[in-house]
Amino acid sequence: MSHTTSSWLAEAFAVFAKEWRTEFRTRYALNTLGLFAITSLVVVSISLGPLGAATAERTTVMPVLLWVLLLFAVAAGLPRAFVHEEESRTATALRLSATPSALFTGKLLYSWTVVLALELIVTPLFVAMMHLPVANPGLLALALVLGGYGLAAGGTLVAAIIAQARSSGTLFSVLALPVLLPLLVLAIELSRAAIAGDFVPVVPRQLLLYDASVTVAGLLLFPAVWNP
Amino acid sequence: MQESPPCQLSFQNLYRSFGRLAVLRGVSGEVSTGQTLLVTGANGSGKSTLLKCLAGLMVPDRGEISYRQDNTQLDARERRLAIGYVAPDLSFYEELTVEENLLFFARLRRTSEDRIGHLLERVNLPPDRSAGTLSSGMLQRLRWCFALLHQPRLLLLDEPFQNLDSPGQDATRSLLEQHLDEGLAVTANPGLLELPHVAHHLQLAG
Amino acid sequence: MKTLLKWLLWLWISIMIWGAFKYAPLAEGFIGDSSRILFFHVPMAWTSFIAFIAGGVWSARYLFGARDPKHDRAAASAIEVGIVFCILATASGAIWAKVMWGAYWNWDPRQVWITVAILFYAAYLALRSAVPDRDTRRRLSAAYAILGLVVAPFLFFILPRMTGFTLHPEPVINPEGKVEMERRMMHVLILGSIGFNILFFWIHNLRCRLETLFEERADSTAFHGGS
Repeated sequence: MSHTTSSWLAEAFAVFAKEWRTEFRTRYALNTLGLFAITSLVVVSISLGPLGAATAERTTVMPVLLWVLLLFAVAAGLPRAFVHEEESRTATALRLSATPSALFTGKLLYSWTVVLALELIVTPLFVAMMHLPVANPGLLALALVLGGYGLAAGGTLVAAIIAQARSSGTLFSVLALPVLLPLLVLAIELSRAAIAGDFVPVVPRQLLLYDASVTVAGLLLFPAVWNP
Repeated sequence: MQESPPCQLSFQNLYRSFGRLAVLRGVSGEVSTGQTLLVTGANGSGKSTLLKCLAGLMVPDRGEISYRQDNTQLDARERRLAIGYVAPDLSFYEELTVEENLLFFARLRRTSEDRIGHLLERVNLPPDRSAGTLSSGMLQRLRWCFALLHQPRLLLLDEPFQNLDSPGQDATRSLLEQHLDEGLAVTANPGLLELPHVAHHLQLAG
Repeated sequence: MKTLLKWLLWLWISIMIWGAFKYAPLAEGFIGDSSRILFFHVPMAWTSFIAFIAGGVWSARYLFGARDPKHDRAAASAIEVGIVFCILATASGAIWAKVMWGAYWNWDPRQVWITVAILFYAAYLALRSAVPDRDTRRRLSAAYAILGLVVAPFLFFILPRMTGFTLHPEPVINPEGKVEMERRMMHVLILGSIGFNILFFWIHNLRCRLETLFEERADSTAFHGGS
């Protein structure tokens, strides 16, 4: 590995480590995303739990609920990745020091790990509270990992865009939803297949393709978004 | 025999407006190694805007900025990463300590971490203090450490001595003097202090 | 010269409208005169499609080129006018769907696609209005428009396949490459597609010039202190 590649990786890792260090001290992501997801899960479960929905519709409805829940939790917490940098005015120091692509990668990896942690808490609770039998747990895990990455990648790029605009909180949902829509449809389809036990191999490939496209677009567009 | 100086910053005819408010209207200037360019003017005359444009944190509407460092021409992106910048709009991570902040930026800048201890000693700043609990004078000292971390050739200083007590002013002034041995500086709003090596004076109209 | 071109465009569109009602025959299997709406619906859908792609290309030229404000104005104008064509195509399609399928809206894959496209470009305009600084606004909106072009193929190719079926008639250009259309209907459709695209570029040109004037006025009050 060349010297520049390894120092680029070190830079990306420094951003990743900084995010998690501040997270451990403030517990912001855990509090907002985690509690938001669990509260909505309780609400959904009370009204739609084992008795609420007909069994025939459950495999169709449940994955939709799960991903809508994850989407809203992400929309509540993820924009902070960049909004906080602008609001607390640390973005200036960051602009003067960081290579944009490494900064984006570090932020993206942090967002992905946050989403994965969120899924790790929410999904078992969801499955338990809804009495949801999963035919193929491995496939559900795949949907959560690939879908979670797509949420993090698309969300991080849109967060970088809206951080420099006014009223960035509401703008995130408006801008992120059309971008994340294909991902959500694919992730819901894969989760449904995992619960029902009928596997269509083309869907994971399409999810992977979405993840790759948004990553490349992010690395290409972020430097122009970030720097004047 | 006259050699051209290794570092030189020059800018011609800079214009920048915010919506309908024109802040810079055709500002030009020049400074090279060992010199300070002093920028003065009334509040709102565009001193901070000029420094942001020079730092590459803002793009002027019109005009040219050219910076040569150690005889190589740098573009806007390279200039942004190369300069040292002290300004009131510079903040740090309140959840991290002073030292953790500087370590983080040193890693981003891919520069040695050895200077951190030395700089903190020079400005007399406790490394373990959380950046969120710093007084405004201590925050100003931290800004100086951040700016000098990577030993930049060009320092852009906006209100560099604000909130500093007299030991703080002495410490930062000696840092600036040492910097000017090989570097150059643009200083706006230095307060009542007398600056070393002022070669040019740019007066901005209000 | 310009006046002559304007008259030619007017004449072209007039002939196309006349052709749609008098020259082209009715299509088989369509209720009443409902097939005639397609002479307007299809060219408008195509024009909005081209407008959005042009908007993305101009955005890329702005962002990765010399950051010429001209390209930003062209991109924003193309997307604005594209939205108008897109809404007209959606409305005409919905009216036709009511006649043929009995409902204005039934989440056909193409209706999904066009809804997301309108949402996306409405978000683009919302973003533009939410950034006060001109330079920042240009950068951010250009990046968002390009992101749209990256995501669009997924909506376009993958979603319709997932939902499985479509009531929508075969597109004029279908995978087999054969044209299943009466000759005279084809004439009107080609006339319309070309006419609407020229109409788009004419409106687009006006919109760009208007935007230039707005920016020049803002500059002159800023730098010369006028009122």
